[in-house]
Amino acid sequence: MVVVTTSKDTRKRKQAPQEEVTNEQNGLNGASNLEMHSDDEDGEEIGSDDGEVEDFPEIDVASDSEEAEESGEEVEEEDESEEGDSEDSDLHIFPKPKTIVSDITGRPKRVYPEIEPDYDSDSSTEDTPNRVGDVPMHWYDDLPHIGYDINGKQVLRPARGDELDKFLKTVDDPDAWTSAFDKNMQGDKALSPQELDIIRRLYEGENPDAQYDPYEPTIEWFTGKGKEEVMPLSAAPEPKRRWIGSKWEKKKIMKIVRAIRQGRIIANKPKTKESKFQFYSIWSEPPSSHPPPLPAPKPPLPTNSESYNPPEEYLPTDAERAEWQATDPEDRERDYLPQKYSSLRLVPGYDQFIKERFNRQLDLYLAPRIQRTKINIDPNTLIPKLPSPSSLKPFPIYKSLTFAHARGRVRALSISPDGAWALSGDEDGVVSLWEVNVGKEIKRWKFECKIGSLDWCPRSDVTYFVVGVDDTLHFIIPPNLPSAIFSATQSSLAPATLPPPSAIPSPVKWVSNSSSDLSILKVELPPSSGTPTQITWHCRGDYMSTVSSGGVWIHQISRRHSQAPFKKVRGSVQLVLFHPTKPHFFVATQQYVRLYNLSEQKLLKTLMPGIRWISSMDVHPSGDHLIVGGYDRKLCWFDLELSDKPYKVMRYHAKAIRSLHFHPTYPLFASSSDDGAIQIFHARVYNDLMTDPLIVPLKILRGHTVKDGLGVLQVRWCNRQPWLVSSGADGAVNVWCS
Amino acid sequence: MGRLRQKGKAGAAKAYITRTSAIKKLQCSLADFRRLCILKGIFPREPRSRKKANKGSSAPTSFYYTKDIAYLAHEPVLKKLREHKAFAKKLSRALGRGEWSSAKTLEDNKPVYKLDHVIKERYPTFIDALRDIDDALCMAFLFASLPSNSRLPPELIENCTRLASEWQLYIMHTRCLRKVFLSIKGIYYQAEVMDQTITWLVPYQFTQSIPPDVDVRVMLTFLELYQTLLGFVFFKLYADAGFAYPPPLDTQKDEGAAGVGAFSLQTVMRSVQAGPSKSETTGKKVSGKEVRQTIKSIDASTDQDMEIDPNSTLDAIADIEEEFVVHPSSTDPQTSAALPTLHSLSALPQTTQASLFSPYTFWLSRETSRPVFEFLVRSFGGRIGWPASSGGGSAFGEDDESITHVIIDRPLIEMTPEERQRRARHKHVQPQWIVDCINAGKILLEEPYAQGKTLPPHLSPFGERAGAYDPTEAVSSVAEAESEAESEEEESEEEEAVIEAEEEEEEAEGKQALRAAADVAADDAGVLRAAELAAEAAGVDYDAFEKEVSKSRKKAKKVAVEDKDADAEQDMNKMLMSNKQRKLYERIKHSQGKRNTERTKLEERKKSLVMQKKREARA
Repeated sequence: MVVVTTSKDTRKRKQAPQEEVTNEQNGLNGASNLEMHSDDEDGEEIGSDDGEVEDFPEIDVASDSEEAEESGEEVEEEDESEEGDSEDSDLHIFPKPKTIVSDITGRPKRVYPEIEPDYDSDSSTEDTPNRVGDVPMHWYDDLPHIGYDINGKQVLRPARGDELDKFLKTVDDPDAWTSAFDKNMQGDKALSPQELDIIRRLYEGENPDAQYDPYEPTIEWFTGKGKEEVMPLSAAPEPKRRWIGSKWEKKKIMKIVRAIRQGRIIANKPKTKESKFQFYSIWSEPPSSHPPPLPAPKPPLPTNSESYNPPEEYLPTDAERAEWQATDPEDRERDYLPQKYSSLRLVPGYDQFIKERFNRQLDLYLAPRIQRTKINIDPNTLIPKLPSPSSLKPFPIYKSLTFAHARGRVRALSISPDGAWALSGDEDGVVSLWEVNVGKEIKRWKFECKIGSLDWCPRSDVTYFVVGVDDTLHFIIPPNLPSAIFSATQSSLAPATLPPPSAIPSPVKWVSNSSSDLSILKVELPPSSGTPTQITWHCRGDYMSTVSSGGVWIHQISRRHSQAPFKKVRGSVQLVLFHPTKPHFFVATQQYVRLYNLSEQKLLKTLMPGIRWISSMDVHPSGDHLIVGGYDRKLCWFDLELSDKPYKVMRYHAKAIRSLHFHPTYPLFASSSDDGAIQIFHARVYNDLMTDPLIVPLKILRGHTVKDGLGVLQVRWCNRQPWLVSSGADGAVNVWCS
Repeated sequence: MGRLRQKGKAGAAKAYITRTSAIKKLQCSLADFRRLCILKGIFPREPRSRKKANKGSSAPTSFYYTKDIAYLAHEPVLKKLREHKAFAKKLSRALGRGEWSSAKTLEDNKPVYKLDHVIKERYPTFIDALRDIDDALCMAFLFASLPSNSRLPPELIENCTRLASEWQLYIMHTRCLRKVFLSIKGIYYQAEVMDQTITWLVPYQFTQSIPPDVDVRVMLTFLELYQTLLGFVFFKLYADAGFAYPPPLDTQKDEGAAGVGAFSLQTVMRSVQAGPSKSETTGKKVSGKEVRQTIKSIDASTDQDMEIDPNSTLDAIADIEEEFVVHPSSTDPQTSAALPTLHSLSALPQTTQASLFSPYTFWLSRETSRPVFEFLVRSFGGRIGWPASSGGGSAFGEDDESITHVIIDRPLIEMTPEERQRRARHKHVQPQWIVDCINAGKILLEEPYAQGKTLPPHLSPFGERAGAYDPTEAVSSVAEAESEAESEEEESEEEEAVIEAEEEEEEAEGKQALRAAADVAADDAGVLRAAELAAEAAGVDYDAFEKEVSKSRKKAKKVAVEDKDADAEQDMNKMLMSNKQRKLYERIKHSQGKRNTERTKLEERKKSLVMQKKREARA
């Protein structure tokens, strides 16, 4: 078998140059041969098989010999044809084949000229004198030659004219446009017609080979008659789907059929008005239980000014018209200007009509809606109903007299416990003692620097006052005292036998000075502790507390001893106060008021007034209520038993609150401010825990002038009368009487 | 201890959704979302705290209720919009490939959404819908007057015109128009339909052009909804009135520009109209039973050839049976006897207002607007005719004997005597007369509205807010004050005349002058000086004058002090108001003050106008 096939192969190879004449037969034969080969062991057709095998070599030999002869003939013929083709040899790059009649088969065959592998055979290289090869030609740019010929001689650069020459050449030479620059030879070379033809073909998107025939008849190698596949490739039985209709398609079709039957689908239904939407009574069915959405608010109805013929008073003046036109459309109160037309005929179209409808629609779908209850109340009902001030008399109403300090602000003011004498100290260092009733000055003391604070001792059996000046507290006995009281005072301030010094050493020095007329006793605070800004007495009159930048000191007069109650205080202390009945102590820092129990030495409460900077504070004589004023104009009323947040916060002064004071006996308190006004309140406090304190504003007292942004600096009540004494930055001390 | 609460899982953060996230959730474009919002009536909400609703961000966004958006997710319209998106893609592909036949098929089966379920949802009852048709009517009337262009197809304009005419037809028939107002923006009409006040605005008949800053797509979406709403509302109104809807249109008349007259009302047997077969509304499967029933009904109708709705006959019978029969109670026979029944109420004569113009026949001059006055006159029972230049369909000609009034809006011109005589047969009135008569509810005198006269001011029938300036009232009070002043002046003049004769009189007069001067001059130095001179001229000695002045000053001071005290007390009491109350108080005071200044401004202007007129009259 193997031998047979190889021999056949060789035969085929040899026959190929001959002809395809026997192609069809061969194909058939081949097929039959294959079949034969597959069952060549059957004895029936052996003979024929054998015969072919025998024939084969003979044919082979004959063909070989013939081929040799033929080649000789072909050469001759080729020579002839070359002569014939010589005219049009330049037309064809590829050698033209010749068709000759084969001697063996007697059929025409195509014969190509023999290619001789000598030097002349390659025409592409023979006429290039420059043999430098494919090197960049710019290497020769600076040289007179452009390369070397085959003999190693320099090839000189051809003369190339300038641009003008080039142009003249294009004009003169008709073939100039078909020439191209030859890089190798550095000169123009005319393109041959073949090359031009190739360029044209490429340009037109054709095959560059002119000989190529795209419409050659197909050669049926594996198909066609006699080559059909007779036996099946697979033995699998034919699937059912080849001859049974699809179930799913049927289902789909039936769906459509049913729809058509029921009239849901109307084939080719005409597009007429019948297909238009038909209205029906949509509200005949009962409504759903769903609550309906809120209806959109309706636009306001037009008023008289929108009329085409409004009363004349509605027409805008020129100024109003100009103002309306100057404002932005969004800010206008009305979206139109009232206009008057004498008759309906003259009314023009409204140019904003569509815009207004559009804005309404934007409102409908873009604006958030809020349901708002309209308040229709008399605004005066909002003002709290309070008892009339006239029913709450007495309270100070008018200014009865003024005591003037020559210069300096009067920051310190104190009224004697019996209410008859007033002490005022200014920043110039002058302390004046004067009568409240008539304003007559009794005595004047002069200190070197400004008076920080002063206060009378609240005791009734002795009479003296304390002046705080520059690190020192001066204890001074006023003149003209009854002798009993004077001696009692002297014995309490400068006793014959000094009390034993305290076990704990204190930096505060107590210095008796009976000889001087200025002060009988001096308490020297530790150096550089600053002017005492506040002196406050305990109600018994034995303890006194001072506040200065150096800290808080509590002084005991009977033991001549001072102590600092706090080792460390958070924040800077502004004010301190003794509780009137309990051993409690209020300390106000900038923002908080702390309540300490002095006997147990612990913090009871921290009050949070919500004021930025506390300026003043006073406690109600009952001890259950506290008022705190701040530089941010707020006044807070604390009910100490209620909460550490204020019961009431008021803001009525135009500027910072400077001073607050509760009247010791009457239900009154006063506040003074930098706006130069003093506000008098009625403040009734009930023992009953359930009733809120009643606060009624009574009177605003004006009479101080504001100087350098400072108004009324200090207010103090007279003990037994509803009289108020106030001192201001203008140097005046006023007495207000009822 | 309860479960830990995560931030943004409950409360405002959950209840509100921003617009961007709503669009993301619905997976639609912004335009589609806007369309949905318009159709479904969903609008943004203002959360109490924007920060809480927006997860701590205070960026300016609009918020919607999350539930609103969740409901939108199941909206059939949204489904249709998505289908339309797919359709648009398919169509553009088919067109791009040049597959014309498939493009045509696609176009034929274009998904179109219906809005009837939206109407039913937004307006569960008919009254809800009726209450909300104000805007819809405005839009229909506006678009009926717009010229059609590429964005406004002629069918749309035509449909709007039809809806507007149907509404006018209904109003004219039921005579429920109440108020009309000719404003500079257009004509406001107010009708009372089924106890609902409906106000709509119709632009004057001029060509409107859509300004460039108006988004027509928004308006068209609204119009889509409004057309459907109006259709259903009119259907119900017509059905309740016993007319067929839509009313048949006489095309010949319509081409003759007859307007509303081209439509005619056609009574129908009242039948309970069921909705379109359920397959259309709900898109559910149709059961075989229903099909069989419809086939049977078709058969039956062909057999009988005359459609008799069994329900209608039953209704009629029920109507007769349900006549209210009073069964007097045994204890108190009088009480129930006075109850009015529907029949007795309908038997009552209509109010005169509704048939205000019924005794009159009007002729429209050609410069007046026919659609407006035809509608007005016919709504109040009058007959009206117009020249052919105003459109066809006039019931009678110009020479008709029955014409009583001619509505004319031209300046008066010189006339020949015969023309004057011809004119004398009718009363010529300006158009405002019609409107003022309607608003007044009675026939007014024609004299002030006659041709060429200056018209009395046209006031809004809707009134102003309470406490606002009332031009009619102000006229009388101002006039009175004026006349009083006038008479006083005259008196004093007379007195002066008498003074010359009698000495004693002079004394009295001088005193009077003195008192007046002192009263006036109590607080102004300049005026005081003038008064002094006057007193001197009147022959009053200086001491007496001084005394008078001081007396009046004291009086004034006393009054002022009392006033001031009360004011000061109030001011002080304001200290104790809480912050919230104070703010409210100030707001109310501010608005009151604004209203008052507005009012006083108008009053003063009126006063000055009246004075000026008087001065002119005197001169």
